[in-house]
Parts: sequence; C-alpha cells; structure tokens
Amino acid sequence: MYSPELIKGTLQTIVLSLLSENERMYGYEITQHVKDRTQGEIQLTEGALYPTLHKLEADGLLTTEKVSIGKRVRKYYRLTENGNKQANDKVNEFRRFSETMNDLLNSFTPNPELSWLS
Amino acid sequence: MELTEAQIELVSAYIKQNGVAQDELHDDLLDHVCTSIELRIQQGESFDEAFQYTIKLFGPGGLKQVQLETFELLTEMNETMKKLTFGFGLTSTFLLLAGTIFKLMHWPFASILITLGTGLLVLGYLPMILTHKLKESPRDEALLHITGFLGLTLTSIGVLFKVMHWPGAAVTLLGGMGILSFGYVPIYFFKRYKVSANKPVTLSSSIVATACLILIFALMKTGNSSWYEHGVLLTDETLTEELHRMSDSNDALYASMRSSNLSEMKSEADKLVTHIDALKLELMSWAANVPPNEATKISLSDLEKKHDMAVVHDLLLGADDQLREGLFSATELKGMMDHYRNTVLGEYPSELRSAMSSGLALRTDGTFRNAHGQEQDWIHHQFEYTPLFTAITNLTKWQLDIRQMENQVLLSKISRPEASNPPS
Repeated sequence: MYSPELIKGTLQTIVLSLLSENERMYGYEITQHVKDRTQGEIQLTEGALYPTLHKLEADGLLTTEKVSIGKRVRKYYRLTENGNKQANDKVNEFRRFSETMNDLLNSFTPNPELSWLS
Repeated sequence: MELTEAQIELVSAYIKQNGVAQDELHDDLLDHVCTSIELRIQQGESFDEAFQYTIKLFGPGGLKQVQLETFELLTEMNETMKKLTFGFGLTSTFLLLAGTIFKLMHWPFASILITLGTGLLVLGYLPMILTHKLKESPRDEALLHITGFLGLTLTSIGVLFKVMHWPGAAVTLLGGMGILSFGYVPIYFFKRYKVSANKPVTLSSSIVATACLILIFALMKTGNSSWYEHGVLLTDETLTEELHRMSDSNDALYASMRSSNLSEMKSEADKLVTHIDALKLELMSWAANVPPNEATKISLSDLEKKHDMAVVHDLLLGADDQLREGLFSATELKGMMDHYRNTVLGEYPSELRSAMSSGLALRTDGTFRNAHGQEQDWIHHQFEYTPLFTAITNLTKWQLDIRQMENQVLLSKISRPEASNPPS
C-alpha cells in the first residue's frame, strides 16, 4: 500500500481518468474500482474521495445527476467538456512525471555504508 | 437487498450526529454507507454487523473529517484571487509608503499617491480579505471579521481625510477605532480565548492590540499638543494686550504733536490693522462655519478646528493650485503691508532709509526657509502649512509691528522736530 501523501497528490488524476473511461459513476463505485484495479495497492481512506469530488464539481470539471434509490439519493458524477480536457492533461502530465521519476531513480542503489542505520 | 426506510433513517441520523451538516455531502455519504451495508448483507452479515463494520472504516471522527476537508478544498483561494489579493496589498502598501515619504519631503503628487493607496486598500484589499475570511471561517465568527473590516476601513478613510485635511476626519477615525476597540478586540478575545490552545498567547496578543489602540488614541490627543497650543494662545493674548497699549500710546503721541503731516501714515496703519482684524474674523468664521458677525463671539481656544491648516491655506492661498487674489488673499495682504512699509520708510530721511529697511518689521521680500530647509517666498512660508491658531497669532504680531513702526516714526519726529518735514 502506498503512503497517503502519494495518493493525496494524485487523487484528482485518478478520479478524472476513471470517469473518462466510464461515462458515469457514483462515489462508492469509484472507491471500489480503485481498490480492485490496483489489487488493493491504492486503498482510499473511507470517504476521502468526496472532498475531491466536490472540489472538482465546484471547479466545473464534473457534473452530477441525482437518481433516487428507494429512500435515498444516489449521485452519479460525470465529466464535463472541460473535465474531459483536464483528464487528458492530468494523465499525460502524470505519465511524464512517472517517466522522469523512473529515470531519476534507475541509478539509485542503497548506500551499503548506511545500511546499519535501518 | 435494499435497506428499509427505518434503516436508512438510522444511518442518516448517525451521519448527521457525527458532524456532517452539509446536505450534498450527507447524501453522498449516506449512499456510500448504505451501498456498503447492502453488499455485506448480501454476503450474509446482519444489518448491525455491516453497519458497525462500515462506520469503523471511517475511523474516529472520520465523518466530520470528510466535511472539514471538503470545506477546506472548496474555500481555498484560487490562484487568480490569491494573485489579485497579493497585488492589491502590495500596490497599496507601496503607494502609501511612497505617498508618506513624498508628503514628508513636501514633494509633489504626495496627496494623489496617498489617496490612491488608501482607495486600493479600502476598495480592493480589505473586501477581498473579508470575503475570503467569511467563506473560510465558521458562521459564528462572521461578526468578528465584519467588525474588523469595518474598523479598518473607517480608520483608513479617517487617516486619509486627516492627512488631506478633508472635513469629517475626526469622526471617521474615531468611529473606526471605536469599532476596533469595542467591537473587534473584545469579540476576538472571547472567541479565541475559549478555544485557544495556548491561552497566554491569545491573552497577550489581545492586550497588545488594546495597548496599541490606546497608544493611538493618546497620540491623537497629544497630536493636538494641548500645552503647546495653550502657549501659543497665551502669546496671542500678550501680543493683543501689547497692541492695545501701543495703539493708545500712539494716539497720545499724535495728540501731543501740534502739527502733524503724518495723516497718510496714520490712516494707512489704521486701515491695515482693521483689515487684519477683519481677516482674522473671516478665518474664524470659515473655521467655525458661521457668518463673520457671529464669529466675534467665538474664542479661538474653543474652536474645534483651531489646528486646521486647510482653512488658512484655502482662504489666503486659494483651494486650488493657482494663487488666489482679491479680498482677504495673501497677495492682497502682502500688497498692503508692502505699501505701508514704504510709507513708513518714506517718513525717514533718505540717507537713513536703506539702513532702516533691513531692520524694519513686515519684510515680505526675499526667501524664507521652512522647517525642512526648503526655500519659500513669504506668502507660502506664512500660509501654506500653518495651523489656524499660529496664523492668527502671527497676524496679531504683525498688527503690533504696524503700531510699533508707527510709534518709532512718531518718536523720531518728536525728538527731531526738523525731521517732520522730510526732504522731498
């Protein structure tokens, strides 16, 4: 499992890219999707997704669609036109970032002299 | 399997109880928890087991934490607003700083810089900070931010008016500082002290804020420098007494002289002294905003605007940049004083005149140095930045000068009777 700091910075990218693959999704569905697709490596804290969803909605990248399920309301999120564009940009940016990180860390070998520290 | 209405109600109540007040977020979380429970019930758990399990996933205080994070993300200033606020703040600080320096150095455009700086502060920076603060902080702190905003706005406007010598400065300034000291500081103290983790720090910052406000009040009071003012007003009284004595003495001297062809000098002296009396009355009536005939009843020490420089400036020099002429202008006064001085000089033998001239009072030619070492002509030196009570005292001093010059001539004529017929 990855550290929460790493996930926090990429949460928007994850949500946007998931929604660009699936036309509309609700909160719980997104959480489960992330868990399943990453074999549990990325596990969102329960509810951690909603602040990001609301923020993306406020920024005009997502719209919601309310569907009643019995006595409760389910909110489906989908990308706006602008959100679709942002999804592409964010995914591309992250790809480049991870390539850069790969290059940077390829030459990394643990310093044997410091190994007694750990 | 779908949950029953009662079960949904239970989950909804639990979510609300745990601090989620926002409807949209409540709906999201309700659906989330219910979906999770339904799936677990399908796998054979009871409602209670599934409910407990799902809630546990949020962790203690987890529901409220979700709302808090949502709130933080939504109220975060966006980049444009951040840049705009920063820009407003920086520009107005720069303008005010430059304006103050220009003002101190008596350079041009100081007033424009200060006005623009305050305008930007009051119309740009402060409202942006207020809207951000109102959005960002809890509802019950709104009053704190509004009093702070109002207090700062009024204080800034008051300072601007004070510096520009515009009317209403004192009231605005007092209003602003009143709101700050009786509104903002107490509210800040009570709101923050209760929840503050470090009470000594909150306490001491409240005390420092109060002390600063008291200091500013005190400065405003001493800004009027009552003792200094009292001294100047006493000087004016002494000069006035002296003036009356000198007039009486001159009248006695005129009477003792059998033949006198000094009627021109006498009538000019009388005219000039009377003119200055009228000018003083006009200044008082401008400052008190009453007709001149009512201004006679007003004592200078009771006048609210006794330190006002704008009254002196506007009456004698004119309110705009162009030097005013005509009745009660400095130009007119200077002309009359110069004329009288020449008449007096004319009463002395011609060989004495140039020697007399340099020592004789009422000199208005040449340049004068002001407190900042700048050279000025007589008119600006006397009336550009002169508080009312100083201007009035100076005018009394010149009246005394007029009578003293007259007295000197009279004495010289009496001691040297042959001089009463000056060579033509």
